[in-house]
Amino acid sequence: MTDQAAPTERAGQSNAQQGSERSHTLVVFADDQQGALDRIVGVLRRRRARLQSFAFGRSEQPGVVRITVVMNDSEVGVEQLVEQLRKIVNVRHIINLSSELVVARELALIKVNGAASHFNEISELGHLFGAHVVDVAQDTVTLEVTGSEEKVEKLVGLLQDYGIREVARTGSIAMTRGPI
Amino acid sequence: MQITATITQQPEIARTPPASQLTTGALDGEARELSGSHILCEALVREGVELLYGYPGGAIMPFYDALTSYPALHHVLVRHEQGAAHAADGYARATGKVGVCVATSGPGATNLVTGLATAYMDSTPIVAITGQVARPFIGRDAFQETDVLGVTQPITKHNFLVPRVEDLADIVHEAFQLARSGRPGPVLIDVPKDVQFSKTLYHPSTPPGYVRVKPAQEPSPSAIAGAAQLIAAAQRPLIMSGHGVILSKAFDELLAFAEKANIPVITTLLGLSAFPETHPLAIGMPGMHGPAHVNQAIGIADLVIGVGLRFDDRVTGKVSEFAPRARIIHIDIDPSEMHKVKPAAVPIVADAKAALNALVEAIEPGDHRAWINEIRDWEAEDNARIAAIPRDTTSPDPISIVEAIHAETQGEAIIVTDVGQHQMWTARHYTWTRPNSHITSGGLGTMGFSLPAAMGVKMGMPDTPVWVVAGDGGIQMNIQELATLKQEGLSIKVAIMNNGYLGMVRQWQQFFHSRNYSETPISGPDYVQLAAAYGLKGIRVTKREEVAEAVHQAMEEEGTVIIDFVIESEANVYPMVAPGSAITNMIEETEENAGHD
Repeated sequence: MTDQAAPTERAGQSNAQQGSERSHTLVVFADDQQGALDRIVGVLRRRRARLQSFAFGRSEQPGVVRITVVMNDSEVGVEQLVEQLRKIVNVRHIINLSSELVVARELALIKVNGAASHFNEISELGHLFGAHVVDVAQDTVTLEVTGSEEKVEKLVGLLQDYGIREVARTGSIAMTRGPI
Repeated sequence: MQITATITQQPEIARTPPASQLTTGALDGEARELSGSHILCEALVREGVELLYGYPGGAIMPFYDALTSYPALHHVLVRHEQGAAHAADGYARATGKVGVCVATSGPGATNLVTGLATAYMDSTPIVAITGQVARPFIGRDAFQETDVLGVTQPITKHNFLVPRVEDLADIVHEAFQLARSGRPGPVLIDVPKDVQFSKTLYHPSTPPGYVRVKPAQEPSPSAIAGAAQLIAAAQRPLIMSGHGVILSKAFDELLAFAEKANIPVITTLLGLSAFPETHPLAIGMPGMHGPAHVNQAIGIADLVIGVGLRFDDRVTGKVSEFAPRARIIHIDIDPSEMHKVKPAAVPIVADAKAALNALVEAIEPGDHRAWINEIRDWEAEDNARIAAIPRDTTSPDPISIVEAIHAETQGEAIIVTDVGQHQMWTARHYTWTRPNSHITSGGLGTMGFSLPAAMGVKMGMPDTPVWVVAGDGGIQMNIQELATLKQEGLSIKVAIMNNGYLGMVRQWQQFFHSRNYSETPISGPDYVQLAAAYGLKGIRVTKREEVAEAVHQAMEEEGTVIIDFVIESEANVYPMVAPGSAITNMIEETEENAGHD
């Protein structure tokens, strides 16, 4: 996703310093209604947001969905994007978690070539990351891991040696630490 | 039908104020079972709608069936749905009320798209109602099915697919509130055919307040104080007023602010007529075709107070060289406009009227006579230089046409322009004094806008003379609406600046593509005969000395009149800033290139 969208000059970016991009996490609360998701994605597309992940699910409020968007962008770019997202009638509110203390997690399923000879090694490596073996077949092992994006990234990297068949990642979900 | 006939015989519900004020009415408390199409009509009447522009078709037929029971709703049958959207837009721009257009599913709805995009770019409130195929057919490629929600999602403020007839009335009222609230814009309601047929109990009680309609923010006192400080310290301040001033009807407030602060006022294309151009503080239009002295002033200004504008690229040119020495105070109702193009030293998120009122209170009287004189000197110098250029005086000159219209109507007309050279000539050379008298497609630059938009303008402002100024390219894009004008018995005066070219594109080809006039020569019909064919009056003008008389004659004639002004074929709009250049870097009119003038 990130590599495909590699625009050089964008509106609202003229006052951003070169190389000032960093990862930003937005939590968007929206009506659970037809078209709400389209409109949010539409604005992200039009703004050419450099998406890293997009996770969508229910929230604690009935009729309200919680969307966690992680993107790599400049501060001004993200602030402008937030204002544009706020204009969407279906968007209830947005929290920019970029400068907050947050818990951020994603879940990944990783299917590795795991001939019998490597099973123990893979399983042990997984344990170091708190991963569980969720499926074993003739010549594959599937691990489930939860953690920060970096942690998942690292495990995937280490498992490359065995040959990775498939990786499924949920994308990050996040909330602030403490009461609110 | 019996029931609705009784309902619609109540004339007092026909002209009602906006929904939020609807507390009493003949129908209050009496819930009745009505079909979706009747509920739609009821809700429109309750929103104070008087005019609808539309075109029937399969999926919207139940609505059209109900419509004949509602004489309070005057439906205008356009000749193309694009005309309906522009007419609703014109009506909204001229009156400040929500314009309404109606179309069927599929091609009817997609024909509205250009009009919706036009209204979206220029922030005008319209509600579009489209028929949709019946719910069981949606998503199955039914006849005349289009995913209109998907198609119009990026060009509407919001859109609805009505899921159940029970939701219809609320959706209509919310749509109107959304269209007119905050930064106005188009809202679309897609109504499946079976929802129009379905019946439910209709409660004509006060519609609820909608939490999703966000009220405009009040200007923050700290921002106003910060702005007042910058204004007090500025040596070369400028006010740039945009469409927001007109949308918020902040004419008096702008005048009061400019006069108290003694700051010269620039008006953007869509801001024209927000400030009287006869006023000593009015200095003109900025940007690509702004006069040199305005762009020069921006180049050295130390403070720019932008009111209700979005620093469009046709205004700024190369952004990094726009107002390079100035700090920016930016007033806009839409927070997402802040820092979008130019970082603002003081952003004021508020309605223009409220913000200007607060500023007038907060500032001390200013004195910038030296700065104003400096700008006036540049203007005089430039005017003298241009006046000295010898030019052909035989053919009807675009500027003489614009001036003749102004003289004949004494500035009291509403002028609706299309897109291109004539638009810029009109913007520059008409003396805008009547508030909200200039109507044009600024953001989207939609050719074919003027004729149908003028229809909406005239129907919204029936006592005001309405002129269309269009090119021979644009007028041919929605020429079919002449039939609608005739049918409605409307009196619109149409001035075509006919140069046999898509003139603005030709001008760009001349300047930037080595005079390679690729596909810009364009022919057209004999407009005098065409007018006659539509049952209208047509006049052709080929000489300069006939211009004023033709304009006078057009005003004397009953009904719509078309004047075909055969102008110099290669006249240019000067000055011009090349796209992407700094606005202080202008292509000026000289004796050399005046050969084409």
